[in-house]
Amino acid sequence: MSEHDGHGHDHAGPAASPPEQRAAALEALLIEKEILTEGFIDTVVTTYESRVGPMNGAKVVAKAWVDPEYRAKLVEDATAAAAELGFKGPQGNMAVVENTDEVHNVVVCTLCSCYPWPVLGLPPAWYKSPSYRARMVREPRALLAEMGCHVPDDVEIRVWDSSADKRYLVLPQPPAGAEGKSEEELAELVTRDSMVGVARL
Amino acid sequence: MTDRRTAALIEAMAGPEAPRRADGEMVFEAPWQGRAVAMALGLVERLGVGWEEFRRRLVAEIEAQPGRPYYESWLAALESLAADHGVGLQERAPA
Repeated sequence: MSEHDGHGHDHAGPAASPPEQRAAALEALLIEKEILTEGFIDTVVTTYESRVGPMNGAKVVAKAWVDPEYRAKLVEDATAAAAELGFKGPQGNMAVVENTDEVHNVVVCTLCSCYPWPVLGLPPAWYKSPSYRARMVREPRALLAEMGCHVPDDVEIRVWDSSADKRYLVLPQPPAGAEGKSEEELAELVTRDSMVGVARL
Repeated sequence: MTDRRTAALIEAMAGPEAPRRADGEMVFEAPWQGRAVAMALGLVERLGVGWEEFRRRLVAEIEAQPGRPYYESWLAALESLAADHGVGLQERAPA
C-alpha cells in the first residue's frame, strides 16, 4: 500500500483514494441521502470519547464516596468492583488509586495508551501524545500545572504507568459542597480528567 | 441508545475482525476512523440489518486483503454495505 501524499490523485477512482477522502465522501452521501446526520456521527464520536465512557467511571467513584464498604472493595479489586456495576471489558485488570490530602495520583501509559476504557470510554487525544507520555513521568507537577491542575506543594504526586495488564483509575477526592448530595448528584460532579488525575475537583 | 451499545458490539467482535488495539487498547490513528465506526453503527441501525451483517462483511474484507490496514477494511465493508442498500459512491460524479 503506497499512497504518496494522497492529494489530487483522482484518476484511479474511489478504490485508490486515500481512506480519509473515501470516508468523507461516504459520510457526505449518507447525510445527503438522509440516512445519517452529521450530528449523529459527531455525537457518537464525542460522547464516546468524553461522556458515555467517563460516566461509567463517575458512577463507580460516586458509589465509593457514599459507600465505605464499596470503596474498600474497589481499592482491593477494582476489576470486580466495577464489574459489579456492569462495567467490564475483555482487557486486563483495573486498579484504583485513591487521592488523599497528602497524595495526588495521575495516570499515564508510557508505552502506548492503555486506558481503562470500560469505565472511561476512549482515551482523549492528549493521553496518547508522546509529550504527555514523556513529560508526565519527568516533570508531572509542571505538566499538571500547564494543564490547569495545580497540586499544592505539600501534596505528593504519584505517577502510575498503565499497561495492558493493569489500567489505573484515580479515585478523586469529593469537591467542596459534596456533603448531603445523592449518589446520582455526586456522579455528575466527577469528570473524566479527575479520574485520569489531570484535574482536581 | 447507540452509544451504550457501542462497547458491547465492539467487544463482541473477538476474532480477526476485532478492532486493532495498541497493546490491548483500542485507539484510532486518525479522526476518520472514529467517524467510520460511528457510521457503521448508525448505518446498521437505519437499515435494520443488524450488527452481524456488518461484522460478516468486515471479516470478508479482511480475508480478501489481509495486509491492508484494519480501518481501510472497515471502510470497505461500510462502503459495500451502503452500496448494497442503494448508497453507492459511484453515484457521485468524480471530482
